[in-house]
Amino acid sequence: MALGNVAVLASAQTELRPAWRDAQHIDLISAVVTSVFKGTGLSLDDVDFVIDSGSDVLDGRSISNCGFLGALGAHHKDEARVEEDGLWAALYGVNKIRSGASSVGLIVAYSKPSESDVSAYWSSQCEPFYQRPVGFGQRAANGMQAQRYLAAHSVSERDLAELVAQRWADAAKHGKVAIDAVPDADTVMASRDAALPLKELMLARPVDGAVAVLLASEDIALRHSRNPVFITGMGNAMDSHAFGSRTAGKLASCEAAAAMAYKKAGWDKPKADIAEVSASSAVSELMAIEALGMAAAGKGLEAANGGKVRINASGGALPADPIMATGLIRLANAATQLSRPELFGSDAPSRAIVHGAGGVAMQSNCVFTLEV
Amino acid sequence: MLSAPDTQAIDLATFPSTIDLPYTLTPGKAAGTFLAEIATRRIVGNRFANGEVVAPAQDFSTRDAEDRYEFVEAPHTGVLGAFTQVGDNVIGLIQLDGCDNEFPHKMLADYSALSAGMRVAAVWDEAQDQSILCIAGFAPAPDAPIGTVNPFGETAAPLEVINYRMKLDYEHAYGPYYGRMFDEIREHGRIMGVRTSSGDEALLPPREIDDLTHKRTGTWKTCENTGTIKGCSIINMEFIGQTRPPPYAYAEIVLDGASTRLIHMIEIESIAWAKEHVRPGRRVRAIWTTGTRTGSLKDIERFELIDE
Amino acid sequence: MGHHVGIVGVGQTHHSRRRTVVSQAGLVREAVDRALADAKLTMDDIDSVVVACGPVLFAAVNQPEKWVVDAIGAQGKPVVRVTSGGGAGFAGALAGYYQVAGGYSERTLVVAYDKLSEGQLQYSISTLYDPFWGREFAVGIMGFSAAYWRARMDVLGHTEEAAAMVSVKNHRNALANPYAHFKKEVTVEEVMASKPLCWPIKLLDVPPISDGAAAVVLASESVAARSTNRPAWIQGIAYCCEADNAPERSMLLSEPLAIAARHVYRAAGITNPRRQFDVVEVQEPYSCFELSYYESLGLCPPGGAAELIASGATELDGDIPVNPSGGCMGANPIGAVGLIRLIEAATQVMGRSENHQIKDAKLALVQSGGGWANLRGCAVLSA
Repeated sequence: MALGNVAVLASAQTELRPAWRDAQHIDLISAVVTSVFKGTGLSLDDVDFVIDSGSDVLDGRSISNCGFLGALGAHHKDEARVEEDGLWAALYGVNKIRSGASSVGLIVAYSKPSESDVSAYWSSQCEPFYQRPVGFGQRAANGMQAQRYLAAHSVSERDLAELVAQRWADAAKHGKVAIDAVPDADTVMASRDAALPLKELMLARPVDGAVAVLLASEDIALRHSRNPVFITGMGNAMDSHAFGSRTAGKLASCEAAAAMAYKKAGWDKPKADIAEVSASSAVSELMAIEALGMAAAGKGLEAANGGKVRINASGGALPADPIMATGLIRLANAATQLSRPELFGSDAPSRAIVHGAGGVAMQSNCVFTLEV
Repeated sequence: MLSAPDTQAIDLATFPSTIDLPYTLTPGKAAGTFLAEIATRRIVGNRFANGEVVAPAQDFSTRDAEDRYEFVEAPHTGVLGAFTQVGDNVIGLIQLDGCDNEFPHKMLADYSALSAGMRVAAVWDEAQDQSILCIAGFAPAPDAPIGTVNPFGETAAPLEVINYRMKLDYEHAYGPYYGRMFDEIREHGRIMGVRTSSGDEALLPPREIDDLTHKRTGTWKTCENTGTIKGCSIINMEFIGQTRPPPYAYAEIVLDGASTRLIHMIEIESIAWAKEHVRPGRRVRAIWTTGTRTGSLKDIERFELIDE
Repeated sequence: MGHHVGIVGVGQTHHSRRRTVVSQAGLVREAVDRALADAKLTMDDIDSVVVACGPVLFAAVNQPEKWVVDAIGAQGKPVVRVTSGGGAGFAGALAGYYQVAGGYSERTLVVAYDKLSEGQLQYSISTLYDPFWGREFAVGIMGFSAAYWRARMDVLGHTEEAAAMVSVKNHRNALANPYAHFKKEVTVEEVMASKPLCWPIKLLDVPPISDGAAAVVLASESVAARSTNRPAWIQGIAYCCEADNAPERSMLLSEPLAIAARHVYRAAGITNPRRQFDVVEVQEPYSCFELSYYESLGLCPPGGAAELIASGATELDGDIPVNPSGGCMGANPIGAVGLIRLIEAATQVMGRSENHQIKDAKLALVQSGGGWANLRGCAVLSA
């Protein structure tokens, strides 16, 4: 039984800011839901279902989707909350359309980490008997991961700083990210110690923002888009919760997710022109690039700086990490690069890899392949 | 680029909110046994049927989720793996001698004094009980002999629960709509909403987008101090986090001029009285505080029944 | 069209007021072991896993699937969690259903749980409310639920006696359920005389607070036979919502449930639910809700619920038995309940209910929901 193809029809994103002090969650959400239909000829009436990603812990309310349904455009529709990065919500939406049950789905992800203590979001994910009491959390895990990586490979802290500076510069150009001043490598090196050996600017910066992505079945996509971007492969996988038990030096679950996605896309290797990759730190971005097969172990830096695949033209997650929305923003961004390459000054790329991550030190990973 | 909706002149910064809850968490057999024994300075580990030896003890092997095991006593010494410093907290991965796993714990040494692969030993904290923090952390111990994993013998009964508290602090943004509404409550003692996208009735709380039509809402409108009970119940139970002693009535009220409900309370004389008098359709009036208004729903002390 | 999806294995824990020997993760493991054994499979045979549970404040672990993964040996596999308050278990099944129906997996394990003994139930549910607007007045979801039962009482005749009959029926049915932990027969008089908590809700209108987990294995048609020659086929499943403070929200009939039912009935070819269904399982967080579901699911016309329960039709020996398992009255591990209802209905059409097998049950209806009664879903299962 043949299952249908699913396309990214359109997307909308707020600016990503350290703090949207003059807007509530519902303001950011309704802004992207209202905008996503522009130019598609579709409206909310055409949407069969809404799947959203957000975090009760970040939002400060239980079952927070329940209070945001109106803003989400979900009233009297089929709605689901995936409490993981929005790329997993998109995965759910694609399955729903592929099953034939629906033809147009709206995927929304958002967060306002500025309203809470982000470290509590991470530490509350840690098992409460052994990990949480000793202060283990996202920063500690990223620090240890970085220490191992730098010790094993010929990558220096200065190299990381230069990568970070490049990412911020790209974000200022293409990422709809609020940036006062783009830091150079010296500024990155001079930022305060965060999780040694990592400096503050080497960690992904939490920002507020929202993103909406409109998914549609092939027949609708062909009628409503000049250049629909098809999702040809998807995969996801989760690693062990015990950080010490994960394979040192690589993101095994990211490799597994990529293998799934590439197999479904019929790719024998990561044959993409562009990639949008999530990261919790500069080191984990390199590890993700390697796990996605775009570089050999320890060689992520060369690929990151301009190998065969153009990686993170948007700036990626380091300058702007709207937790829960970061991966879905990668999807939106990669789809835009494929459908409107002129905005990014690229030749006509035809294939993209999209990566999202969740959990402490990227315990869970999700990978999409896109083609036009 | 999308921008925030039109902002009114308001001077409310953020709305502080705290969620602070007590918990009684069950560690399960392995961690419960570890936590029951740790104050006696015996480190409970376990040997799984698959041969893996881990400490601290865990119910499931991270290798293959094996759940058959016997308890062992792990030594107080081991080797430091990766480590980092976050704020003042130096944290490292420790592999106890004879064990197959690494676990995170505090390092009681300067970051600069540490190196991966160095020998370490547990430092104990007498003030702690039933916590992984009975081990205050690990310190460099270059000369510590290599310890061994031994059979445990009789273990204490596992701890059934540990007390835990989770406190989460928020500073919620008001945004232009809630900002204006609470500003009007504080400054003028009136409740204002915005009209629905197509009608005259006000949405409370106000918002930019109408839930039903997903179109922009209309202009601002002052709602009356009177309204009608849409649903109500008589609260006669106590629970942690309750803000007033029972009995009282919980009421969802549609103010005159509004179309959506406001949640508040009605004081009652008795349960029997309330059953008879507090019911859907009854008219009510807001009783505003006579003190200083703070710009929240608390500025209305309560609602009371009115005759019409 | 998508792949046909069947339930090929089920498992649940023996629910309890407090399980003091297993952690949250250990509780999940028990249900998973039972479901895999029932499906004659191991974790190696599972392509993907969906975890569901109530909100983080129930048990102080954020994104708990990331902890649970080690307890069930799902490392390296696709694992994702969905939430939907009280309807989480059902929402999890729905997400799993689409993984199989959409060709993402051949076999998906769905596990749902809550360990409510670990937290403060009413206060943590109260945080459902907007912190700016009403949270300080919230009484969990009980104050709200009672408020609109009171409204339905006036308009639809859902009297205290009618709800008490639901309580009596479900408590009685739970006596034979081996997984239930609250087993006490009650009378209408006892329910009516029990302590008002949030009147009209009284103590015996309220289910127990429970620790429990449940799991199912969903399989595509091509691999179902390896587990069972009689799967419970999902003929339709949907979960709809309404904006919580929308102006036209009546709170009388459940519109999202009616919308979901319309959708599911169309998919499953149901034109006369009262006559066609052999058995129904609903999630009744308070006795009054079961009356409301009768009407929203079309088992009787609006205003007919009190008469339906009084007629005995929804009793075990009636023509449309509702909750032969005892529903929530025997055990109520909230985030798992939607999946438990699905399991109870599945075992009915598989012909192997462990409590009250309804003779020749071929077609079952399942309802679940959460939030402010604004997230509502249903499913149709067939032999």
